[in-house]
Formats: sequence, C-alpha cells, structure tokens
Amino acid sequence: MSSGLVGREPYPAGGISMIGRRDFLVATGLGLMTGAHAAVAASPDQLTWGVHVSLAPTWFEPAEASGIITPFMVFYALHDAMVKPMPGSALAPCLAESVKASEDGRSYEFVIREGAKFHNGDPVTPTDVKFSFERYRGIAHGLLQERVAAVEALDAHRVRFQLKEPWPDFLTFYATATGSGWIVPKAYLEKVGDDGFKKAPIGAGPYKFVSFTPGVELILEAFDGYWRKKPAVKRLVFKVIPDESTRLAALKLGEIDVAYSVRGELAEQLRKTPGLALKPAVVQAPFCLYFPDQWDEKSPWHDVRVRKAASLAIDCNGINEALTLGYSEVTGNSIVPKGYDFYWQPPAPEYDPKKAKQLLAEAGFPRGFDAGTYFCDASYANIGESVVDNLLAAGIRCKLRPVERAAFIKEFGEKKYKNIIQAGPGAFGNAATRIEAHLVKGGVFSYGSYPDIDALYQQQAAELDRARREAILFKIQQLMVERTIYAPIWQLAFINGIGSRVGESSFGRIPLFPYTSPYEDITLKGT
Amino acid sequence: MTRYITRRAAYCALSLLLLSLTIFFFVRVTGDPAALLVEPGASAADIAAIHHRFGLDQPLWVQYGLFMWSLAHGDLGQSFYYQTPVIDLYLSRLPNSLMLAGVAMVFSLLIGIPSGILAAVRVGRFWDSAGKVFALLGLSLPSFWVGLVLILLFSVYLHWLPSSGAGTPLHLIMPAFALGWYFAAAHMRLTRSSMLDVLGSEYIKLARLKGLPEALVIAKHAFKNALIPVLTLAGINLVIMVNVAVVVETVFAWPGIGRLLYEGITFRDFPVVQGVVLLGGAMIVVVNLAIDILYAVIDPRIRLER
Repeated sequence: MSSGLVGREPYPAGGISMIGRRDFLVATGLGLMTGAHAAVAASPDQLTWGVHVSLAPTWFEPAEASGIITPFMVFYALHDAMVKPMPGSALAPCLAESVKASEDGRSYEFVIREGAKFHNGDPVTPTDVKFSFERYRGIAHGLLQERVAAVEALDAHRVRFQLKEPWPDFLTFYATATGSGWIVPKAYLEKVGDDGFKKAPIGAGPYKFVSFTPGVELILEAFDGYWRKKPAVKRLVFKVIPDESTRLAALKLGEIDVAYSVRGELAEQLRKTPGLALKPAVVQAPFCLYFPDQWDEKSPWHDVRVRKAASLAIDCNGINEALTLGYSEVTGNSIVPKGYDFYWQPPAPEYDPKKAKQLLAEAGFPRGFDAGTYFCDASYANIGESVVDNLLAAGIRCKLRPVERAAFIKEFGEKKYKNIIQAGPGAFGNAATRIEAHLVKGGVFSYGSYPDIDALYQQQAAELDRARREAILFKIQQLMVERTIYAPIWQLAFINGIGSRVGESSFGRIPLFPYTSPYEDITLKGT
Repeated sequence: MTRYITRRAAYCALSLLLLSLTIFFFVRVTGDPAALLVEPGASAADIAAIHHRFGLDQPLWVQYGLFMWSLAHGDLGQSFYYQTPVIDLYLSRLPNSLMLAGVAMVFSLLIGIPSGILAAVRVGRFWDSAGKVFALLGLSLPSFWVGLVLILLFSVYLHWLPSSGAGTPLHLIMPAFALGWYFAAAHMRLTRSSMLDVLGSEYIKLARLKGLPEALVIAKHAFKNALIPVLTLAGINLVIMVNVAVVVETVFAWPGIGRLLYEGITFRDFPVVQGVVLLGGAMIVVVNLAIDILYAVIDPRIRLER
C-alpha cells in the first residue's frame, strides 16, 4: 500500500530543520497510516483466522472438554491424542502408534509412538496417558470411570486400559467423543497447577502456545518437533470476530485468511467474490422433525400416515439450496450422521406434497389439521420457517416457536414439548450412542419408545461381533425410517471461507469436523 | 458542606447496593449457565457438578451474601466462561474502551456543540432544520447499521480503513465515529436548547443593548453558560461509552468492555455481567457525586437547601 510519499522528491539535505510544522504533521499522519497498513497486511509466514465464537482458556484443557465440538478447534493445534479422527480414518493412531483390543473385549493396549514429545521437549509416557485419563472431568467422565477398571503402565512405551465389562464403544468414547484421550504432560501440570496450565498450556500437538487474550486473540507457533511432520505455516493467529458481516469484510480485505461460519446471503456473496473460496464442511448434526405425541393414541401424530405426510411435505433439497447453497447433505437418516460408525443409508427422502395430502385424507384429515406448536432452537429458526411453510402447503398448520438455544435443549430433554420438535442432534459418538439418546426408552431426548427397538438396542449393546452388531443397528435405523419416528431434513453444512493466500486449508479433511484440521497440513500458496 | 457531601455519598452507596441487588437477581432470571457449558443431553450429575463448582447450588440469598462479601474485599469473582478473575478481564479491556470512548467523545463534542450553537443562533432557519434532521438521524439510526455501512464503504469499497480489531489509530476511526454519532446528536440537541435558554436571558439582552458584536455575545457570554449542562451530560455519556458500547464493539470486534458484557450475557457468565454493570454503575455514581459536589461549591443555595 502506498504511503502517499512515493513519487515525491526526497527531502533536501539539511534534514529536519527544513521541514515545516505542517509537513511534520502530514508526515506523522502518513507514517501512522503506513504503520497501520503494515500491521493489517498479511505476514508471509502467518495465517489468521476470523473465529465466530469467543475463545476461552478451557479450550486449552482437554480434561474439561464438555462434549461440544468447538474446543477441538484448539485441541487439534495445541494437543494430540492417543487415537483421534484424522483424514481417512475416524480412529487414527497418533501418539499411540498402535492399539490392540483383547479378544474378550475387556482390555485395550496402546503402544506409544517413539519420538512423540511435548512442546517442552519431554517425551510422552504411559504415566502422562494414565494421568490425562484420570484427571479428565468432562462430559463422559462418569461413564468412563464407571466402565474402566484401571489404567496400567506396562513399560516405558505401553499402557493398558482394563475394562470392567466388554465395552464395544470404548474407543469411540476414548478417542472421539471426549477429551480423555488427549494427552497433557503430568510433570508440567503438577508444577504449574490447573490455573497455570490454562495460562501457559503445553501440549504434544503441532503448534505451541505463544499468547492469549481471553475472548480476543490466540497466537500459536509451529512446533518443529511434532512427530507427524513439521507444520508448514509458522504462526497461527485466531482472532475473535463475532459479527458475521465483519468477518466476511475482513476476509475480503485480506485481514484474515480463514473465516468461520458465513451463512445465507453472505455465503452467496462470498462465493461470488473473486479470490475467495467457499469451504463448506458437512458436520455431525442431522436436522429432523420429531413427533413427541406419536405414542398418544388421541393425537393425529399417532397415525404413521400423518407422520409420513409431514415427511413428504418437506422440500429438503429446496431448503438446502435456499439456506446453505445446497451444501448440506440430504441423507434421509434423521438422527445418525453419515460418516458415523454403524450408519445406515436409507432411501433418499421424497418430496411429494400431493401424496402428503392424499395420506392426510386417508388418515381422516382431508382438509388438513391444526398441528399446534413447532418448537425449534432459535439459532436455526430459519430452517423452521421454511419447514412450517412446507407443512402448511400440505395442510399441516402449525405455529413456529423459536426458543433460546440453552432453554430449548433443556426443555427438550425435560420432555416439556408437544406437537412438533425440530431436532438437530450434534453429540459425538456412533449410531448406537445416537439411538440411545433419541430412540430408546429412557433416552435423554426420547419421549417414548417401541418395545422391539428397545429389545434390539439391548441386544446390540452386548454383542461383541462387529458384523452382528452392525446388522442390529442397521435394523433399528430401518425401523426408525419405516415408522417415520422422525422426519428427516438434512445433515447441516457449516459454511466457511478462505482467502487467496491459503493453499491447503484442511477444511473437510477430517470427516464431520467443521474446522481446519489437521493444522500441520495447512499451507500457504507457494510453500 | 461536610453534611451535604456525607448525605450525597450515602445516597450513592444506597444506589450501588440497589444496583447490586437488581443485577444479581435479574441476571439469574436469564437461565442456567450450566446449560451452555455442557453438551445437549448431559446427565443431571454433570449439571449438578457445574452448579456446585460455581456455587450455584446454594440458596440465592447465600450466593448474594457471598458475592457482597467478596465485593467488599475487592473481588468481583471468577468468570464462568473464561475462568479468569473478572477484575483482570475488566482491566485488560478498559484501556481499549477508554481510548474508544475518548475519541468518540471528542468527535461527538466537535460535531454536536458547533452544530447545536449554529441551530440555536439560526433558530427556525435552514441550519436549525438541518440540525434537527441530523439529530433525528443520529438518534434513530441503529449503531450496528451505521457500523456495517461504514465497514462496507471505507473498508470493503474504498480500502481505506481496516474492518475490525484494534492495534493502530486507523482501527479506531470507524468504531469511534459509529459510537460518537449517536452522542453527537444528543449533544447537539442539548446544546441547542441550552443556547436558546441562555440567548433569551436578560443579561444577553443587556449585552446586545450595550452594542456588543453578536459574535462576542454568543462566544463569550452565551456559550460558556450554555456549555455547563452539555459538559455535565458529556461526563455521564463518557462513562456510558466506556461501559456499554456493546453493539459497536461487537460489530467492529473491538476488544473493549462492551464486548465483554456481550460475551457475559451470551454465555450467562453471571460474574462478568455483575462485575461490568457494577463497575459501570460505580463510575456513573462517582461522576454524579463529583458533579453534585462541584455544583454545591459553585452555588451555595444547592448545599443549603433541605
């Protein structure tokens, strides 16, 4: 950027004495501007992110991973796990070079990778693995403590997890659904304490901590000793920019290189801007309609034809085009995301308003019916608006009621809703964990259940043979679709943007992960 | 005078106590912060553990008592979300907010006072009407919209200014303008009405009768007296700018106290919301107290009235 001085004659000999007060002021002003532009200009060995949420120090601490996916945005840079989702594998050995389950399914033995070390140079040891697991206090700690009998260091490189009973989903929870498999250095943590660790975290990931201003900015620097590879970009800067329009403006100006979460019309604008690229990532959140009154014989929703009519009335592809530019995935599976272990692929959902009306007429509602309230998380009220319109066109008249996110989740779980609920389950796990929460008796979000599905669920929980377990879980998902327990909408796409300097962004390389990872694979153009 | 100051200070302390009560209980009406700290479907035990960790499992009055006890010891508590002392968060953001508010205030006074004077001197004529339009726009255009238009114009189209963040003087220009815009309109209106009052007073008529030039009458005799209420309001507005520039700081990703408050509200971070509101309230109360004392020093009738 020009400072405005280019093309002028150089100052004559004599220096400052020849500069008048006005010149001095002008020069100072221009100097400030030049300095400012230099500050906002892109550094050649740095990439800057515009992050949509406030960065918190708890995101440096795998022990406190609450089960939401957002902190993993930082974990993937700062820390490393024994086994974690990576490109091409949902359970890729990382700090562990191998994992072996015993034949009886009661123990798992990990061999720690030679050369794996923390940012302070200390090697990763079985003691660190045991320590990290035992201090984990996140969302599933109760479940893990209940099922894991002991963690034993066998020698300098091997560690064994002894289970109380066979638990086929152990690795799902240890490696993907929680922070318990992400390793922190015991010696350092004991030296600095929990609070000290959050102020200056040390991990075994590809980037090391440089500085953090809560809610404002996080700076990381490449760790050359990372076992997998030396990161290509030297410095990563994560800037919190809460407003979506501002994030897009910053991306257009080159102030940031990656913008998370740019939706709707702004995403369309991003797509049309030369030099920028739109990077959608389909995440683990399938959206669907749930009919909590289907077990009430007096309710119209008790009739499967009415539920099917609602499903046929939803124009999934049309809504997808309108709201997420067609990047969300219309899978037909209402609760299990495509890419999860034991996912069953149903037939593509049909959009047929005529058939929907016909089914309603057959069910005794030739003129449609008043379906009451349509509850949804206010953050996704835009989906609700479109679906309500679709339902209305088929004769299902309902009133949209967006509820603040936290209240919605709480009240949904407390079984306070009736009529129609727009669900969007986003928890980690596999098909079995989703079915447990959403389909079977006692599930956190189940308002009722079917005895045959409950029995099948219990059967699979005790099944150690993978093929047989898979067949049972497929059967459950098939029954869910046949009975239209839920009506599918789509699997949500998280839309992001990248600037012209980014070579490999790493968006979408880890299935269902919305952020840019692995970080060590990210490149700048020309490097 | 001592009695007057003591009485005013007691009112201030009472105001702050009421503010602490109000914010403490109102912030808890917004819902359970644990719901935002766990994943959907978290067990009751996990939620209970979070309640216990943050002391939310105790009766409200106990929580309030503990909060006041900590406050009395200069401790505003620990942020639920950032897990950092609130006072540290506040102080880390304060310099940015002071800078933004300072520049916005200078801008609002530089625009508001001259335009207010002009409108009063040319009352009922073009400049007065223009001033009214300016005041109407300033007070009615939402600052998020003004902010986004500025970004679009000066950053996206003209490439003159950075769109967001802090760090250089250029980063300050747009947020200061967006924040000062509303207050400029408010200052303009007050300056106009204050000037009209003063211009209609007897001593101004006398000055004119004495044949003093109109410019001198306005600049020397009217302006100084008309300025008192404007500067009083500006003092209060400065405190408001420092503490509650929520929208402007969010739109421009300016790392100030307003954004901290926004984050506190978003995450139901009770200690952050309580801390920011109480410190902001304390600033307003102290500024008001200082103004009251100054008035009392200047005008003995004030301190003598019962």
